[in-house]
Amino acid sequence: MIKTFFGAGTLDTTGAFLAALIIGVLFGVALERAGFGSSRKLTGVFYFEDMAVIKVMFSAVITAMLGLAYFQAAGLISPEELYFMPTVYGAQILGGLIFGVGFVMGGWCPGTAAVGLASGKLDALIFLGGAMLGSIGFNELFPVIQPLYTWGNQGVVFIYQTLDLSLGSFALIFTLVAVACFWGVEFLELQRGKVTAGGRDKFLTSFSLVLVVLALGLTLFPGTPAPSAGRPAGEADLIAQVESGRDHLDPEELADRLMRGEPNLLVVDIRPAGEYQVFHIRGALNITLSKLAEELAPHKNKGMIVLYSNGMTHPAQARDSLYRQGYGNVYLLTDGLKGFMERCLKPVSLRSEPLAPAAAARVRAWRAYFNPATPGPAPAAGAAAAPRPDQLPQALPGLVDPDWLARHLGQPWLKVIDLRSQPEYNSGHIPGAVSMNVGGFRGLVDGVPSMLLPPPLLAGQFSLLGLHPTDLVVFVTGEKFHDGTLAGMAAERLGHRRYAVLQGGMAKWQAEKRPLDTVLPAVIPSRYPVSPKDEFTVDYRRVLTAMQGKDAIILDVRPQDYFTGKKSDEARAGHIPGAVNRPFSEDVVKTNTGVGLKPMDELARAYEKIIPSKETAVIVHCRTGHQASQTFFVLKRLLGYKNVYYYDAGWTEWAARQELPVAPMVNK
Amino acid sequence: MNPYLAGIFLGLVLLASFLILGAGLGASGGVARLGAALEATLAPQHTQASAYFGPWGPNYLSYYLVFMLLGTFLGGLISAVTAKRIQPTVERGQACGVKKRVIYALVGGLLVGFASRLAQGCTSGQALTGGAMLLSGSLVFMGTLFASGYAAARFFRGQWHD
Repeated sequence: MIKTFFGAGTLDTTGAFLAALIIGVLFGVALERAGFGSSRKLTGVFYFEDMAVIKVMFSAVITAMLGLAYFQAAGLISPEELYFMPTVYGAQILGGLIFGVGFVMGGWCPGTAAVGLASGKLDALIFLGGAMLGSIGFNELFPVIQPLYTWGNQGVVFIYQTLDLSLGSFALIFTLVAVACFWGVEFLELQRGKVTAGGRDKFLTSFSLVLVVLALGLTLFPGTPAPSAGRPAGEADLIAQVESGRDHLDPEELADRLMRGEPNLLVVDIRPAGEYQVFHIRGALNITLSKLAEELAPHKNKGMIVLYSNGMTHPAQARDSLYRQGYGNVYLLTDGLKGFMERCLKPVSLRSEPLAPAAAARVRAWRAYFNPATPGPAPAAGAAAAPRPDQLPQALPGLVDPDWLARHLGQPWLKVIDLRSQPEYNSGHIPGAVSMNVGGFRGLVDGVPSMLLPPPLLAGQFSLLGLHPTDLVVFVTGEKFHDGTLAGMAAERLGHRRYAVLQGGMAKWQAEKRPLDTVLPAVIPSRYPVSPKDEFTVDYRRVLTAMQGKDAIILDVRPQDYFTGKKSDEARAGHIPGAVNRPFSEDVVKTNTGVGLKPMDELARAYEKIIPSKETAVIVHCRTGHQASQTFFVLKRLLGYKNVYYYDAGWTEWAARQELPVAPMVNK
Repeated sequence: MNPYLAGIFLGLVLLASFLILGAGLGASGGVARLGAALEATLAPQHTQASAYFGPWGPNYLSYYLVFMLLGTFLGGLISAVTAKRIQPTVERGQACGVKKRVIYALVGGLLVGFASRLAQGCTSGQALTGGAMLLSGSLVFMGTLFASGYAAARFFRGQWHD
């Protein structure tokens, strides 16, 4: 099996950059050799003067398509290793229309312009400058045109699925179209009196033959995957399908749809909760028959609802009942869970009939994804059971109270992380909560201790906790409320906005006599995706410019004695010149029922006095970044300050960098 | 070079990109990153806070497509040098003034830069790569690109008149 940089999640490493550079060089050579270092030759295609663009592009597309299809059919590369772009019909149609005008007007496209520039074409340089400005324009207009950007988003869709063909037959048709185009443009050029090199016809004949034979071979290739799923059908289609009895979904199709992370797909396990807990299809919700109508109401005739049980009887009855209530989008899993186990999850080695390599690879992918024993690849968004919007707390990231948490315990999308010490956790925790030491989110980064770890390491921790991007994560704290917000910073860094901190912490939960448990819950490791660098962490250089330029408020949240320099645990005592002190402890209140944040209006009044407007840039810091995480959370997530930044390295780094100024000045 | 052979070569490079990087070829992504880096030098705070470029920062150029674009330029240079095809010029028809061609190239570039962000790719990243992957959206993009190119072609023909 071929492992790609994308598949390994290392596309942003030096190795991948080097590979991309080399591939780029070959790309440049190919374009230049094709003659595409000339805008005149490129645009010739639009005036029927020079059809090289059609010839080169179609040859390349067909070559790569056949090559990739053969690699996949032979099981040498699995789809998880490849990045497939989403289909966004509206954006891509509009984009194509604008692009076409720009192409014929400017005479270049981005790749050929790079080659044109290398060939000395100054218009290519101008074009590239224009394209950079066009990109900047897009960035500036993005808030306004964002609806366009996602207009008609279908997720990853293959054309042969859209046309309801097999990959092999579509590839053959596409190849034949390309070959017809080749002969057509040759004929056209002949008509136009363009002299073609001698022997071109002979070459083209053999080239055409080879392509067609290869495409034919693909259709005969054993185990060429049939189209696994049609496009998500419209409402009318679905009703028609139910009426015509086409309301069954094959296990293979369901498995593929779940692995693709299709949005609008709701899989419902209608067996008793006990059976569900032992095993269920990954991503399925558990709703018992009596509650089905009530729970499914928000999904009525929206997307696709797939019911399953062990066999077929109960789901069929449920489907009939729902159908009579006007549901037109309920499907049954063919042969139920038994069929799913037999047809998708049965190991290749235990099957009576031998499987073709591609089919075997498919089974292995399903097993890796759906079997709890083997952690599968990261589910695409929506694959895990995601909460419905109305189930989530009103504002996220934010606070949840014990009552809300108690009501939602047991939901598959709710993950409770207990940040107290292990003895405390072991002697009684919220049912289903897993234990995490908040120190595990920090470590030495660039020589500075106690820094929030970079995204890949945080994603590793999240994976071990079994978290998925769609989960709502609730952090539960003991004595230190800021443990919860520090874990929140880890979530923020991974772009995980669905998190909340339990108001009042564990003490409040216990004071309210809510259930406790000592069972260690089973955790199925996930593969939490790595996000790019966050936008809110700043380094000392940014703090220094803020200090000099006064374009941001520096908020030092350490206790007052440390701010004034009376106490010190660091290289130097004091604070960053110009910084304002607002100790983090001022924001919390400790009662006999736990440590929680002060009331919102009180916090809002206190910060209004320090920060002039919600737009003002504020940099929060403490000694190590722990306490400052709480102020960050309060300002950014609860009070709605828009530009809050986090100087993670904090006083530890500032004090140790002798070149940085410190107030008050102390003569030694 | 025989255009079909050039096409096969290009197709094999694309296939290699699939098998090594796990992603196809791309050019506009690199151009957009350069745009982001440019905007960040002019207005760092603003760029960092912007909705589209913001998440790319602060190291806007630390991205594989930037390196691919650099490679494309170098590959073009190597090939053009060995074929002795380098000639500093503003390519245009003899009857067309430099100014007109430059304006066309600039405005065309603006449109292409914008459109390739909207469509999440250009002729390389969508048409070529997505086409070979048989992605519906990419093929639709390719179709509308050519349709609109042919529809608009006659308005810009003047720049190639000799």
